[in-house]
Amino acid sequence: MAEDFNTDSMLDMFLYESEQLLGDLQNTVLEKKDEDCFDETSINEIFRVMHTIKGSSGIMMYENITKVSHKLEDVFYYLRESHPDNVPHLELVDHVLDVADFITGELDKIKEGEAPDGDETKIVADIDKFLKRLKSGIEEQGEELPPENTYVAPSQFYIPPTGTESSKYFKASIYYRSDTEMCNIRAYTAVYSLKEIAEDMEYMPDDIITNEDSGAVILEDGFHMLIKCQCSREDVLNAIGDTSGMDRVEINDCTKQEFEMGFHDHGPEQIVIELEDKKEDKEKKKEPTPGDYVIKGKETGKGKKLAKSQPKPSHKQSYISVNVEKMDALMDMIGELVISEAVVLQNPDLKVPGLDLTNFQKAAGQLSKITTELQDVIMSMRMMPLTNTFQKMNRIVFDVSRKLGKDIELEVIGENTEVDKNIIEHISDPLMHLIRNSVDHGIEDKEDRIAAGKNPRGKITLEAKNEGGKVYIIVRDDGKGLNKEVLYNKARSNGLIGNRPMSDFTDREIYQFITYAGFSTKEQVTEYSGRGVGMDVVVKNIQAIGGKLEIDSMEGAGSEMTMKIPLTLAIINGIVMQVASSTFVIETNAVKEFVRISKEMIVREPNGEEYVMLRGECYPFIRLNEFYHLSDTVTDIEDGIVVLLEHENKYISVFIDQLIAEQEIVVKPIPSYVKRVRGISGCTQLGDGSIALILDIAGLIIGQERS
Amino acid sequence: MAEELMDVLNEVDELDELDELGEDTQKGKFMTFRIGEECYGIAINYVSEIISAQTITPVPEVEDYIKGLINIRGKIIPVIDVKVRFKQEPFEYMDRTCIIVIDVKSTTVGLVVEQIADVITVDEKSIIPPPSLNQNSYGRDRYVFGLVRVADEVKLLLDPEKLIRDEDPTMPE
Amino acid sequence: MKILLAEDDFASRKFMTNYLEKYGECDITVDGEEAVDAFMMALEDGEPYDLICLDVMMPVLDGYQALKAIRDIEKERGIQGSDGVKIIMTTALNEERNVKKAFEMGCTVYSGKPIDLEKFEKILKKLGLI
Repeated sequence: MAEDFNTDSMLDMFLYESEQLLGDLQNTVLEKKDEDCFDETSINEIFRVMHTIKGSSGIMMYENITKVSHKLEDVFYYLRESHPDNVPHLELVDHVLDVADFITGELDKIKEGEAPDGDETKIVADIDKFLKRLKSGIEEQGEELPPENTYVAPSQFYIPPTGTESSKYFKASIYYRSDTEMCNIRAYTAVYSLKEIAEDMEYMPDDIITNEDSGAVILEDGFHMLIKCQCSREDVLNAIGDTSGMDRVEINDCTKQEFEMGFHDHGPEQIVIELEDKKEDKEKKKEPTPGDYVIKGKETGKGKKLAKSQPKPSHKQSYISVNVEKMDALMDMIGELVISEAVVLQNPDLKVPGLDLTNFQKAAGQLSKITTELQDVIMSMRMMPLTNTFQKMNRIVFDVSRKLGKDIELEVIGENTEVDKNIIEHISDPLMHLIRNSVDHGIEDKEDRIAAGKNPRGKITLEAKNEGGKVYIIVRDDGKGLNKEVLYNKARSNGLIGNRPMSDFTDREIYQFITYAGFSTKEQVTEYSGRGVGMDVVVKNIQAIGGKLEIDSMEGAGSEMTMKIPLTLAIINGIVMQVASSTFVIETNAVKEFVRISKEMIVREPNGEEYVMLRGECYPFIRLNEFYHLSDTVTDIEDGIVVLLEHENKYISVFIDQLIAEQEIVVKPIPSYVKRVRGISGCTQLGDGSIALILDIAGLIIGQERS
Repeated sequence: MAEELMDVLNEVDELDELDELGEDTQKGKFMTFRIGEECYGIAINYVSEIISAQTITPVPEVEDYIKGLINIRGKIIPVIDVKVRFKQEPFEYMDRTCIIVIDVKSTTVGLVVEQIADVITVDEKSIIPPPSLNQNSYGRDRYVFGLVRVADEVKLLLDPEKLIRDEDPTMPE
Repeated sequence: MKILLAEDDFASRKFMTNYLEKYGECDITVDGEEAVDAFMMALEDGEPYDLICLDVMMPVLDGYQALKAIRDIEKERGIQGSDGVKIIMTTALNEERNVKKAFEMGCTVYSGKPIDLEKFEKILKKLGLI
């Protein structure tokens, strides 16, 4: 979360701090929800949080937030001072959560640049009633009320700029036709019009008014401007206008850094990456001193420059926030590096017979070692723990189970598992949906559970773990499980499976019916799990990041939903092989054995399926060139190679023409434009620049099972 | 001071001939190419580059007009054969066969065409909607949004979004 | 209401005067030093300003220096707390440490640029200026 904010700006600080405080507040409250009342530490914490938010929102004039936090602060003030007994705990918990939700909602609006216009009157009135009861309760106990909670209205205010983030930066260039005269004057008119809409500007050449020869420079090289403004590209274009003589105008977006660099060399941009743990926090950052912002006398053509050149204070923090685009670029580059490495190490130039490559091999080994380490570090930079995402689920279970009158406990395992940032963004919604489902449809009502001899308190387990290059996220409940017959009948009556008998499907396939679009009928819909935004959408979201959802269940005992998601940048060890004129790659881990076989070892079923007998075992046999209709040459069984593959304890063998190499390959997705092909999970670029398709063993196995 | 400058410019202007207005310099420009006997055009703002035909890696079990994948500086891009997309007889790939790489929304696709022609500038007003062509047919006509006459030739202007997206309704998903 | 504006950028000056003129008489200065001088002059004449709008980045003296000078002068004359002139700093600098520093030094309102006129007006009302 920290990376989302530039925690220097006043507004961002406010948003960030408030969000952190509210997050901690919610966790505290949920932890204590089962107690009889809040303990002293919690009361103090909640008071402090509300007090802080009241103050900071007051400075920023977000009055509804101020009112609401003030009211709740009052309540906790009394709790702290008078320690009344018999405070209705759950009611209080609700009030706190209501306030937290309201404020979070308003903060979200502010983040989006909208006005925080929520109406706080009802919440304030409700809490006020609660407070009155509390106060009379205190008096009834014979205690005196403490003096009123003092409130000093804010006397200093901060107004955030409108459209803070919408300052846009453009680089514009005007090129004049070669016969145009007085380009410098024409350029000036453009500058003049732009000044009306630009917040800041710099242009080159900058002596257009004073130097007549600048016109010639402009004819030759064009007239360039760096513009900072709130307007759109259209507006900039219109301002520049189209005085004749202009051959063309180019406007491109540019970054804030490029704008600040300007046209003149200000020296290398400082990017200080301090990796040692220097605990210098914000307070030690250079405080602004009066006089820091005095402006140098103005110069034509240049933006405002400070008289004191401000060296950027060295950020001795242990974390830096990096633009996500840069991280993506870095990820791409490491992939390219792996490919380049292959190009070098497999270079045909090296295949000179008699060449002694011992030293070369040693150096190559070292190179490979370093690239592998580099890969690991880079991939780890994008990884973030699932903690936040999982914590959100606590709240959902709490809310939904309470509203349905069920008693449910959420157990979280492996919340520190780290996962690529991109993945976190995509699984949050599907995960919420799965959890809601478990609470709503999975776990039975208390009476039903007791009647079934189960613990009246239901249990949902949320688990995350890393396995085999994938991340597994599992939602497990001990509810009533899925009834295969019901699922089968429903799917059938909704026309989703034609007339195939139930025996056609494995248990797992039947459970997957719930993910088919059109499966949910009215009876399934409740306020909490909804319809349509149903399992089919969940599965789509998971597939969008290359993952899949597996469902298992035992009727009466519970269900288990497992999201299996591959890590984003996959660099795997693969075996490159040739079939006809196509090149395929199979993950080395999946390859169990290579064999040459003779014709007698093939068994052919009447339906066309083939099997190969190896050491008494029978394995499904796929001829890849037929499977994929690759036409071309048909190699004789005895000339090609059979590769035995394994995936989750299922075996399959494929027939290929030739083995080429074993190497590290960078898995690239097949462009989404091309529809999914069964048995192919991606593609890669080989050392010679050609493209190889990556075989998906699971897909091949399923394909085989189906036919 | 601004008014004096404007006067100066106006005087100079009178000596210039009226040229095209300084609009967004890419509007109205089309990349044209030949396929078979016809000449087609695509708005240049979709075109990101043009390369000569290279080895295309076929992908099994895809639509017939998707020829496969190519590798451009490390980026793997799908390639479609436009003639096949038009449900016409495919042509033989030769030396002058080119691939036009286009970016449509967030999708990058290469189009295999027989021969590249010029970039032409077209005034929006001269584009005629194609009345006599059947918009509901499954062939080429589906993808043409307008016609324009340049010199003595009629060029058919293609809608790239339809070209790559439009599903043939008879094909199963 | 008597208003003093200190702003070195022409366009911003135009914008601010247009806006503020409807609330009162507006005096314009273009750098920090002029602003302090103007403030002094008005004080000595017995017609002090009610509101000062100070840009931060200015030539000669910056907004902070001007702010300090003005508050110091007031202190010397026994003008304290809410009796002092209301000072609004306007600037594109929005870092928390800048805002905190300005508040420490006695600035009443810190407004980021571009100015949110709606909120600006609300504050003028809150401060009792309009």
